[in-house]
Amino acid sequence: MATKTRPKGAARAAGRASTAVKDVVPLNAWFRFLEAQDAQKVALPVTLLLAVLVRWCVALHGYSGQGKPPMYGDYEAQRHWMEITTHLPPSQWYFYDLGYWGLDYPPLTAFQSWVCGFVANLIDPEWVALDTSRGIESHSSKLFMRASVLVLDLAIFVPAVVLFFRSRRVPTSWVVRQVSTFSVLLQPCLLLIDHGHFQYNSVMLGFLVWAVVFAASDSYVSMAVAFCCALMFKQMALYYAPAVFFFLLAKCFQSSHGFILFIKLGLAVSITFGVMLLPWIQSPDQLMQILTRVFPVARGLYEDKVANIWCAVNVIVKLRSIYGIDDLLRLATAATALAFAPSCVHLFVVVKRHAGKPLPAVRDNIIRLLNYGLLNSSLAFFLLSFQVHEKSILLPLAPALLLIDDEPWAVNWFVQTSLFSMYPLLFKDGLAIPYAVLAVGWSVLRSCPVCPADKQTPRVVFAMQWLTTLAMVALHAADALIPPPTSLPDIYVVLNAVFSCAMFTMFFLYFNYRQFTLLSRPSADQTLASKLKAE
Amino acid sequence: MAGAAELVLLGVGIGIKLLLAPSYHSTDFEVHRNWLALTHSLPVSQWYYEDRSEWTLDYPPFFAWFEWTLSQLARWWDALIVDVDNLGYAAPSCVMFQRLTVIVSELVLFMALQRFVKINSHSTQAQVAAALGFFSPGFLFVDHIHFQYNGFLFGMLVYSLVLAYEGRDLLSGIMFAVLLCFKHIFMYIAPAYFVYLLLNYCLVYTRQQNADRLNLGASILRLLQLGVYVLAVFGIAFGPFAAMGQIPQLLLRLFPFKRGLCHAYWAPNFWALYSFVDRMLIVGSRIAPNLLPNLRVNAAAIASTTRGLVGDSAFAVLPDIAPLPTFVLTLVAQIPACAILLSSNRRSPTRFVQSVVLCAYASFLFGWHVHEKAIILVLAPLGLLMAAPTRLALRMFVVLAVSGYYSLFPLLFGMQELLLKTAILLIWSLCALSLLKADGESAWKCLSALEKLYIAGHIPLFVLTELVPAGAFGHLQFLPLALVSVYTAIGVLYSWCGLILDFLFLS
Repeated sequence: MATKTRPKGAARAAGRASTAVKDVVPLNAWFRFLEAQDAQKVALPVTLLLAVLVRWCVALHGYSGQGKPPMYGDYEAQRHWMEITTHLPPSQWYFYDLGYWGLDYPPLTAFQSWVCGFVANLIDPEWVALDTSRGIESHSSKLFMRASVLVLDLAIFVPAVVLFFRSRRVPTSWVVRQVSTFSVLLQPCLLLIDHGHFQYNSVMLGFLVWAVVFAASDSYVSMAVAFCCALMFKQMALYYAPAVFFFLLAKCFQSSHGFILFIKLGLAVSITFGVMLLPWIQSPDQLMQILTRVFPVARGLYEDKVANIWCAVNVIVKLRSIYGIDDLLRLATAATALAFAPSCVHLFVVVKRHAGKPLPAVRDNIIRLLNYGLLNSSLAFFLLSFQVHEKSILLPLAPALLLIDDEPWAVNWFVQTSLFSMYPLLFKDGLAIPYAVLAVGWSVLRSCPVCPADKQTPRVVFAMQWLTTLAMVALHAADALIPPPTSLPDIYVVLNAVFSCAMFTMFFLYFNYRQFTLLSRPSADQTLASKLKAE
Repeated sequence: MAGAAELVLLGVGIGIKLLLAPSYHSTDFEVHRNWLALTHSLPVSQWYYEDRSEWTLDYPPFFAWFEWTLSQLARWWDALIVDVDNLGYAAPSCVMFQRLTVIVSELVLFMALQRFVKINSHSTQAQVAAALGFFSPGFLFVDHIHFQYNGFLFGMLVYSLVLAYEGRDLLSGIMFAVLLCFKHIFMYIAPAYFVYLLLNYCLVYTRQQNADRLNLGASILRLLQLGVYVLAVFGIAFGPFAAMGQIPQLLLRLFPFKRGLCHAYWAPNFWALYSFVDRMLIVGSRIAPNLLPNLRVNAAAIASTTRGLVGDSAFAVLPDIAPLPTFVLTLVAQIPACAILLSSNRRSPTRFVQSVVLCAYASFLFGWHVHEKAIILVLAPLGLLMAAPTRLALRMFVVLAVSGYYSLFPLLFGMQELLLKTAILLIWSLCALSLLKADGESAWKCLSALEKLYIAGHIPLFVLTELVPAGAFGHLQFLPLALVSVYTAIGVLYSWCGLILDFLFLS
């Protein structure tokens, strides 16, 4: 709820929110209108259809490496994996012609490629013909590729998000739930990367949201399996691993059946990994190859320009020329561990204290805490770990979006900044128009920067949001109008990275602070819980 | 605050339309590009003679001037657009420019609808009706995917109707005359305008001895006034061409009578059913020749109607139809439209809009070579009436809208557009069914069981005609398209009957 910022008189604030929010945030106004018109039944179908429509509209535009031989881009990589998995035995998947987009994701991605390739082969074998299909860019093959992302997104990510916002024990208002569902399903970053740039992040993030949904329904074994799936789809899910690990570990300390849960979780994880690795499990060479493919340490501290601390520091101190790659790896790992430790320890301690069967309101808070943990852990990885891509900001974004009704203005701002940080990439892919449309759409529909009429948000946030938004617009305008000086051809990309990095660091500190103060601040839910207690 | 909400809606609309820019566009895109080029590069005297491209200028002069205006911007945007010899030019910059002209010119529709909401004192119903009009799948499909400028033209029509609502009949008439000089398809509804302006504007009554008497002098004066204005509009449009002696050439271009009764894909009207019966009789005569012994099948005609040729459509069993009978039939069908205005004592603007709707309807159902897109001519004014509908009118509107907009599906035949058109129509229909209300009840609740079944029937129709591969129909290649025409024609005809009942006898 938007009432968090005014601790005094939560009930009064809630009453005010229902009138104030209505006028300020267009998205709230839309669902409030549907409620007033007694048309709640169409709200979710319309949201889902819009989600499909906007995804498919974005898919009409360019993708990474379109028309850029000989290597093309991520689109060709994904298509190429369909080609090799369909035509070659698993033993060759991680070895075949590594110079041309060799497979470098864990087995579940390979299986997904294999299934997609199988279907493609049924419809038109030319799309995935071994070697000869390299760089194929026919209209029909593009449609197939786009459709495969859409289908997987709709099958895994979308239902998880819808279920998550229905999983609260203490129900939030109908409007808030609908607004949150709409916002998460139509957040621009994931849409542009998956359906524009071309990747299958929604599968990994979908598995993560499923893990959270399972956690909310106390099915921890399912949670572990879902998280293993995320991990086996993209190794980047490791960003979440500390939070998931400490959360599940704390659950094992519950008074009854704690040890049994521990055994079950161990078995579930082993079996999931075992099944996924089954084709290669007999050969240590194969397993080693998968490991080195999946963790390409040799690629360096970071790629291109990314809005993390190493890249920002590099503007002044050329780390890569001072230290060797092993030192950098150690430095990055230690810094990451230090950054996620406080959040994970806090998560562990609190979850352990409440393990068992707590009150509905407390259970909701535990899930919130899990989301804060996932967010802080993955943001720590994004800022400080080794080999980070600009697209990896999607990982902290996913748990942040699950907190959207607790942290409306912060998450709005976070999404806005993340989108901005990906602009250089999206521009390269010919996605400037969808970028502009979705960026403006997000800002307007969710009212970020905060509308002057909003009296809920602290004034300092109001001022800072307007300042940063103006800075982003100014940077875009300069990029479009003023050619960069010849001595600094990357100036706009570097400025973008440094600015975004500063913002992300600020968000990291803020979300950590919010995690630590979650239990001590009165929320609408807690007021309700204490009321129930009194009765 | 209402203004802010409407601006947000406008923004959402513009956003979606910008996202749609790279989608499929039909040959109409090249038609309009060619018009940009020829109006920009050639002297006015050559406009209606130029034929380097097969897409010759066949809209009235104001539209040509509209293209000329756009071409001034196009030259600055990308000079290759306005090169007459650069046939088939469709580079991304050209696509973006033309898409933008459609989006920006559609603001006329937005402003007209704003004004419509205002005269309805910002009632929720009027706002819903206006929003549904602005987001109509008709405009999204035909303008923003297929490529045309209907949003802008229908904006003028709505403006004209709003002027009538405001009691400014003369201005309304002038606006309509201007519209006719942009696109002559609006002649379909000219009878309604003629009768309305004649009865409501020209005839002046004065109150004498407790009875209204016709004031002949004042009436003639008004008739002259209206006539002068309308003729002046036409004079400005056609005068220069008349001076150059080009009127016969213009008429030849504007009214190409060589086309057949039905388009390659039958618009869902009376003739679609007629053609379908003919087709069924052919099939029947093959399967059971004994049952229909007296049937004479015209073998040459069998190949024609459905093979996608825009030529003469010939019927194999039923008698062929010449243009003249269709005109007579159309005029007869327009009698109820005008009767609305004749019969009522108080000719309210609502009556006028009803008459426009029925007039367009009659032309759509019985006209010669009607395009499926012409259904917007019925739906746009009818949508305005949904600001305060009767139950029956609301039911008919919903049935007509779903079947009419569905009948546009074959226009966007590509796999890529399948999802776009389906999602757009579903979203619009869900909103219309739940947000439009009569007597406080949503449209869906107002519908009878049969009508609900009919609307839901579009789903199996969709599966059969869009998802089942065409090869499954064997040598009955015409069947998928014919099924769409016939199924939607049933809804269109049903709504026509319902609306006549409602407008003529109930309201």
